[in-house]
Amino acid sequence: MRAIRVSTLDGVDALTLEDIPPPTPGPGEVRIKVYVGGVNFPDLLMSEGKYQFKAPLPFTPGLEAAGEVIELGEGVTRFKPGDRVMGFFDYGAFAEEAVVEEKFLMAVPDGMSWEMAGGFVLTHTTSHAALVHERVNLQAGEVLLVHGAAGGVGTTAVQIGKALGCTVVATAGSDDKAQFALDNGADYAINYTTEEIRTRVKDLVGGADVVYDPVSGNAFTQSLRCINFEGRIIIIGFASGTIADAPANYVLVKNISIVGFPVGTYRRTSPEVLLRSYSGLSEMWAAGHLKPQQSHVFPLEETPEAIKALRDRKAKGKVVIKVRDEE
Amino acid sequence: MRGMRLHGRDGIDAMKLEEFELDAPGPGKAKIAVHAAGVNFGDTLMVTGEYQEKPDLPFSPGMEAAGEVIAVGDGVDNVKVGDRVMGSIGYGGFAEEANVPAANLTAVPDDMDWATAAAFPVAYGTSHVALTYRSHLKSGEVLLVHGAAGGVGLTAVELGKAMGATVIATAGTDEKVDLAKSYGADYGINYSNEDIREKVLEYTGGADVIYDPVGGDAFKASLRCINFEGRIIIIGFASGEIPQIPTNYPLVKCFTVDGFVWGAYHRNKVDVIHEGYAGLREIWAKGALKPHISHRFPLAEAGEAMRVLLARKSTGKVVVEVRK
Repeated sequence: MRAIRVSTLDGVDALTLEDIPPPTPGPGEVRIKVYVGGVNFPDLLMSEGKYQFKAPLPFTPGLEAAGEVIELGEGVTRFKPGDRVMGFFDYGAFAEEAVVEEKFLMAVPDGMSWEMAGGFVLTHTTSHAALVHERVNLQAGEVLLVHGAAGGVGTTAVQIGKALGCTVVATAGSDDKAQFALDNGADYAINYTTEEIRTRVKDLVGGADVVYDPVSGNAFTQSLRCINFEGRIIIIGFASGTIADAPANYVLVKNISIVGFPVGTYRRTSPEVLLRSYSGLSEMWAAGHLKPQQSHVFPLEETPEAIKALRDRKAKGKVVIKVRDEE
Repeated sequence: MRGMRLHGRDGIDAMKLEEFELDAPGPGKAKIAVHAAGVNFGDTLMVTGEYQEKPDLPFSPGMEAAGEVIAVGDGVDNVKVGDRVMGSIGYGGFAEEANVPAANLTAVPDDMDWATAAAFPVAYGTSHVALTYRSHLKSGEVLLVHGAAGGVGLTAVELGKAMGATVIATAGTDEKVDLAKSYGADYGINYSNEDIREKVLEYTGGADVIYDPVGGDAFKASLRCINFEGRIIIIGFASGEIPQIPTNYPLVKCFTVDGFVWGAYHRNKVDVIHEGYAGLREIWAKGALKPHISHRFPLAEAGEAMRVLLARKSTGKVVVEVRK
């Protein structure tokens, strides 16, 4: 089968397309025929050896995909060959076939395309799990500020925040992206290249109760200045490339919380947190709260370009890899 | 009546014992005959104008007091004349009488003396609300308390034990570590000659909740021994050093840093303050709390009381016995 491979930790340009034997499902695992894989920030970090979790070299990258079940490992009961599934992988999704633990798969809901399903699970689960987790405890009626709101995880945070009954203020780096966030359901949008986030948030809604931050840098620093009493800033990632410092006296005087939410860690240590979100998201999809995302589609051989589109923040919505054509 | 007063924000030495009278309590205020007042770091900042709240001049410092209600203003229905009360009062405690926000007051238990009552609200109120409401400390978790022999630190040790946690205490001298242990700490770390992170990892493998009124190096050590889904509660910066939190740490290690200003809840969510007092009343009734007062001063020596606190010579609380 064809698969993208990381053989050295020299970044996306060192990725290769190779022909390798398909993986075999172990106990509790499922082998799927991959149609579409989703691109995420950790794919970039893993190609450089900078992600928290290191796969043994050489390996196939890709943390999420959708496809059809073709083989069951021992003890698998929830799925059967032919089922349409999508899931959150340890790694290995950017290949024609991939193996994943049964528990991290969910059925592709009726009406969801392969394109959306392939890029659905990781970003939606990250946002949903973080926002509803007791560590954050987002409540209906609160103000949710979403940075990088036109990006992969940001887009999902906007939709889920609205579905949870919040007022959503979106920030993004161009007028085009700000409009994209508004079209995606945000109540307000701020273009932080021409507007000051803090001033605009105060003008628009007075302050933010929860800040969803996959960007960091100046966006984080601005958050400290427009957050409400008992507010929570969720640290998701550092897409700006700058890891902000939080002065402890700000955190104290404003009586706020800085909450780190590493979805990969939860997958390993507390999978029930993610599985709870699988259920929550299925309900939100059924209720029509999750609109199809705009996607940038790349073929498997252009996986490096797909990851670069994400890295260079050129993408609006989700970047996906079309691994094979529908039959 | 007599009270310590400031006519400018010129520091401890400018505070003088004077004879003066207060107005009748305004709406929402109660006038109390102060019996004793607790001394806090905030008092030392207020006399120089460095504190957030700047009372109109002249004023008497003293943000924590216990006494008897002698008059109430319009709209006050939670206390009445004759009640024995205590609470965080803003300022005015270093005087024989004070007009205080009635909503902040809570009843003094019958078996609690005035000095203990004056030492009680800030230290126990802060630790109780921090550990319950703010950080959800659970029985069986590991609680690391920095500055464990100090005013709030010692109460965090006691309450942590009362809540069923394993408690590790850090302090700057062997004597202070021993005091924290005598209040129930399971382990003690003298950070002047032991590495906090190393000892925490050795004793318990890590900490679930870290109570930090110290900042500085203690905070930095916390970042390196906190568990998955742990909570660091920032209470203050007694070390004088305000740390920067590198935000990749909470992400990679999956923990939370909570800022907690107990005083701010009096303005924003006073119910939380009173739920804390209710919880404390139950623990007090069981005899599980032994408020520690290391220094007592008469009213005229309130300045000396503040200096003892500033010099970090005290353990537990310092109290001004206003009417003894």
